[in-house]
Amino acid sequence: MSAWQILANEAPRFFTWWNMFFLGQALLNTLIASVIGCALGYALGFLLATLRLPQVMPLAPMRTAAILWVETFRRIPFLVLLLLVFFLGQALRLEAPLWAVAITAVAIRMSALAAENVRAGYDSVRPQQWEAALTMNLPALTALRRVVLPQSWRVILPPSIVHVLSMVKETSLVSQIGFIEITFAAKMLTQRGFSAMITYGTALMLYFCVSWALASLARAAERRLTARPALTIPTP
Amino acid sequence: MSLQYGQVLHYLPDFLLGAGMALWIAALAFAGGLLIGLVGAAVLTQGPLWLRLPVLGYVRFFTYTPQLVQIFFLFFALPEFGLILSPITAVLIGMTLNAGAYLTEIERAGFASVPQAELDAAETLGFSRAQTVWYVIAPHVVRTLYPSLSNHYIIMTLGTSMAAIFGVEELTGRALNANAISFRSVEIFSITAGLYIVLTIIASVLLWLVGRWLFRVKAKVF
Repeated sequence: MSAWQILANEAPRFFTWWNMFFLGQALLNTLIASVIGCALGYALGFLLATLRLPQVMPLAPMRTAAILWVETFRRIPFLVLLLLVFFLGQALRLEAPLWAVAITAVAIRMSALAAENVRAGYDSVRPQQWEAALTMNLPALTALRRVVLPQSWRVILPPSIVHVLSMVKETSLVSQIGFIEITFAAKMLTQRGFSAMITYGTALMLYFCVSWALASLARAAERRLTARPALTIPTP
Repeated sequence: MSLQYGQVLHYLPDFLLGAGMALWIAALAFAGGLLIGLVGAAVLTQGPLWLRLPVLGYVRFFTYTPQLVQIFFLFFALPEFGLILSPITAVLIGMTLNAGAYLTEIERAGFASVPQAELDAAETLGFSRAQTVWYVIAPHVVRTLYPSLSNHYIIMTLGTSMAAIFGVEELTGRALNANAISFRSVEIFSITAGLYIVLTIIASVLLWLVGRWLFRVKAKVF
């Protein structure tokens, strides 16, 4: 059968209100897992990147621990991390619902990526800014919050939106533990007898639309943040 | 919870073979992707509009959708048209196409780093388009893009884990099999995670050596 014949045969049965409602719920689950996971991951990432600053954390072992966390979770595949979180939850008898497992895995993975991103942001601020702030006897955390952070948003923000985009794509792996997001919904619809071309094709289109929206947002953020002259400091 | 690592240690040689396979899958897909990326980036920077648009569409489609669903599509939808792919073929084709899209984006940025004077010199010497790309642009691309390229190779090595979902017996696939036999899930997947860390560190060091000897790139390993 050709692609058009399959489409003509199955489209009226596939694009019903109930199927679309089901896919909409799945899309919502994908967004919940990736957005909440990313938010938690970024909070943790900020903490990790801040712990790596010698100005803030004088204890070297803590700094090393932060580096180790980042290097470890950057180098574990998301699928393996997810299965590890899933089975660890079972072994500890936490009875965690699937969405919690998904969000935890996304947050841990994101924390490593976010820490690198935030660190790049901190590094983009010239060291003289730190020195000046500390010389004026500002506490280290105040210096970070009032002097360094406002200048590093420009570097941190655009890649972080791209990170949310990549996590939206990574959450397709959460289908493997049975969390009903887009990929798992497509799988269920395929098992109900619809053509795999239509179900997975629709899933691809949904992912494409979400990613396209996020990528446009990232591009807009980049244009706005890098065009502001007040933020571009001339180098000596 | 009690951890019994002694009961799963005998899987280690099996897992190491799987790790080798993961490196091979990543290397094959990366090599294919590098070629697609070179052609794609050449078209995007120098090609005519009617070629640029489809290439841009290809890049957008593959970078905006998950690799897993792309391979699902290849594996489950193509048989409807009579084209049946084996799991490893589907994974390799999917990963190569996916890598090609990302590497096109990465290499396009590298094309901008080629000095105009060298392009002019190539034109004066009567180089064809293909010769310019191969002899003048490619060496620049490799050198300036070394960090992003090696980073993408690491990401692809981690990405090979999704081959397990299609039944390919690489590291994660073997871990899933061992898990089904022994039920020592936490032990098995923590060992797997550790092996992936070792694997990517080895890959980082190898890439550093390759960059150092072949292209004289001065980059940090981490």
